[in-house]
Amino acid sequence: MDFTLNQDQRELKAAARHYLSQSYPLTLIAELSDGVGADGQAWPELLRQGWLDPELELLELALLAEEGGRALHPVPWWVTVALALPVYQAAGLPLPGPATLADGSTGCQARQQATGWSLTGQVPSVSQAGSVTEIVLAASTPAGTALFAVEPDGAGVSLTERAGVDPLRITAGLRLVGAPARLLLDAPATGPVLAAIERRWQVLLACEAVGVADRVLELAVDYAKTRTQFGRPIGSFQAVAHQLADSYAAVELARSLAYRAACVLADEPDQAAEAIACAVHAGIRAAVSGCEVAMQVTGGLGVTWEYPLHRWYRRALSLQARAAAGPDPLEVIAGELFTPAAADRIEGALAPA
Amino acid sequence: MRLGDSQDEGEFRTRLRDWLSGQIPAGVPQEWDSERLRAWSKSLYQAGYAGLSWPVEHGGRGLPAAYQAIYAEESALAGAPDHVNVIGLNMVGPTIIKYGTQAQLAEFLPGILSGETIFCQGFSEPDAGSDLASVRTRARAHPKGYQVDGEKVWSSYAHLADYCLLLVRTDPEAVKHHGLTCLLMDMRAPGVQVRPLRELSGDTDFNQVILTDVVVGADSVLGPVGQGWRVAMTTLAHERGTFGITLTSRLSAELDRLVQTVLTLGAGSDPLVRKEIAELHVQLQGLRFTGYRALAELQRTGEPGAESSILKLGWSLANQRLTALALRVLGPDAAFDGPQAFWSGYWQQQHLRSRTNSIEGGTSEILRGIVAERVLGLPRTR
Repeated sequence: MDFTLNQDQRELKAAARHYLSQSYPLTLIAELSDGVGADGQAWPELLRQGWLDPELELLELALLAEEGGRALHPVPWWVTVALALPVYQAAGLPLPGPATLADGSTGCQARQQATGWSLTGQVPSVSQAGSVTEIVLAASTPAGTALFAVEPDGAGVSLTERAGVDPLRITAGLRLVGAPARLLLDAPATGPVLAAIERRWQVLLACEAVGVADRVLELAVDYAKTRTQFGRPIGSFQAVAHQLADSYAAVELARSLAYRAACVLADEPDQAAEAIACAVHAGIRAAVSGCEVAMQVTGGLGVTWEYPLHRWYRRALSLQARAAAGPDPLEVIAGELFTPAAADRIEGALAPA
Repeated sequence: MRLGDSQDEGEFRTRLRDWLSGQIPAGVPQEWDSERLRAWSKSLYQAGYAGLSWPVEHGGRGLPAAYQAIYAEESALAGAPDHVNVIGLNMVGPTIIKYGTQAQLAEFLPGILSGETIFCQGFSEPDAGSDLASVRTRARAHPKGYQVDGEKVWSSYAHLADYCLLLVRTDPEAVKHHGLTCLLMDMRAPGVQVRPLRELSGDTDFNQVILTDVVVGADSVLGPVGQGWRVAMTTLAHERGTFGITLTSRLSAELDRLVQTVLTLGAGSDPLVRKEIAELHVQLQGLRFTGYRALAELQRTGEPGAESSILKLGWSLANQRLTALALRVLGPDAAFDGPQAFWSGYWQQQHLRSRTNSIEGGTSEILRGIVAERVLGLPRTR
């Protein structure tokens, strides 16, 4: 057992934190959040920073996702790496730039014509569709669900932005009318890739949630050290300090589970369901309750628009909503614990008296 | 970052598991009286499982802390009890290795390893539970060394112990952390009286130790006179080392027992029970892998990581929640106890005992205060 980050991993994390804190001060995050919702210029620099290096393994991506959550990284890196990248990798194609992925398997039909494939149909909500180079879409073909790429500003493609709880993760309704599409993966190859992506995004979501929880704890702790009431810093009141200690515990437990899920998914993907479920449940819980504790500690200021805390709370709530699109973590865990095999796990257990 | 065992660790685990399965009958946890406990400790020593991480020159095996963690996990899985000299092995021994004189090393270490010299710890007092520095037990100068008067409480294993690592005040003028000294006191010296404390569960895990004119030789001082606080903190730091992994391993075994109970009682499809069990599982796994991270930090830097400070806090709350759920699952039958009850009242006992968890070894309030001040850097709470 040596369950700790190695030197390279620690350095990667520190470099990512440095880059993000230099590039995205809170003023810029607020400006983007209240404005266009994403930094459209950052992609080339992110490539130079190595955030899409092919040699990055899942644990390294997990660390970057965590740092991205801390900084509210306003670039469609997460959707690219968590959702779309595995499709291009499986297809042996280069990543065209930032990309997102949506499931149109029930609402979109693909038709093969002499000139190539075209897509028709709609998807109610595609994450960050307006900020990417390509949208990867699962669509139905006569042979089953296959994966295609369309360009957001291509012919026959229309996007309608939808207001969301997290303005840094804008989604759009997607409507396709005979839109030309590139086939990335055909029907037989698609199922396993989508299944693998579902496991992958859950792990990277848990990591991002840990980053959110970690940052809002830091915010609240800094505030509790300096804000005085009744003649002393509020962090010296047990009622305040103990809530923050509990938040710290929640963050550390969630971080351990997120790293563990990344390790298990990398090594034994088919055995990872329980580890992923633990990571998702603990990560979301730590992020949402961490923001709520931070709001309580920062009091009246914390619930204003001006104070940045709500931006992480919005991220936490949007992660919670995204997680709800996956399997229910607690039911996954219960399903594993209450199998017939579990009945025999304690050998020779006594019958009730 | 590596989750699994190295090859050597894996081989150690397999050998240990085989050995344990030959020693301990499988099934629901059993009663271990003090004679069985002593015999168990002796067999652990003979099989080479005592002092795994002690230095070789002091009779240990000089293995990294991970092996102690593997021992903790496997013994929990096998339903093995604590070593009867858990305090001597895990806390007092390492403190003697750090502060002891040559004579003290020679006198105590072999017996601690073999389980022949059982230690208890005399830190807490009736008026100095969580406020350890307000220790009042007095040690006055005596021709042979010191004469000790006072009272200690919550002393585990004192009823079996041969010696006590005793924290006393040698300088009544000095304030708080100063003027304290650690003594290696013979529990059979005249004036030492041990009274078991009966807890609300009916168990007698802890003791009161009353000290009346007990004479302790000058050669029994451990570490510098007046530096007892520092010595005691060394002891408590060793408690933090792999202790978290011991606790969470036991808790995992306990959750397995609860799943077994739920299945036996046919409650495995109750959605509320399923949800609660799954949440406990998440909490436990979180504690487990946080324990692994703290262990890795311990092996890398010699100090357990800051994460270790939350393990005991989280463990106590999870154990209380777990045993409460067990009683809810038992339903009206939870009212019974003793031989007629489910598993002879195992869950009733565990639940009553669990109330102690958030008090013993640092109350939850003290532990949250430690996290707030030492980890988060918040100003001292009042």
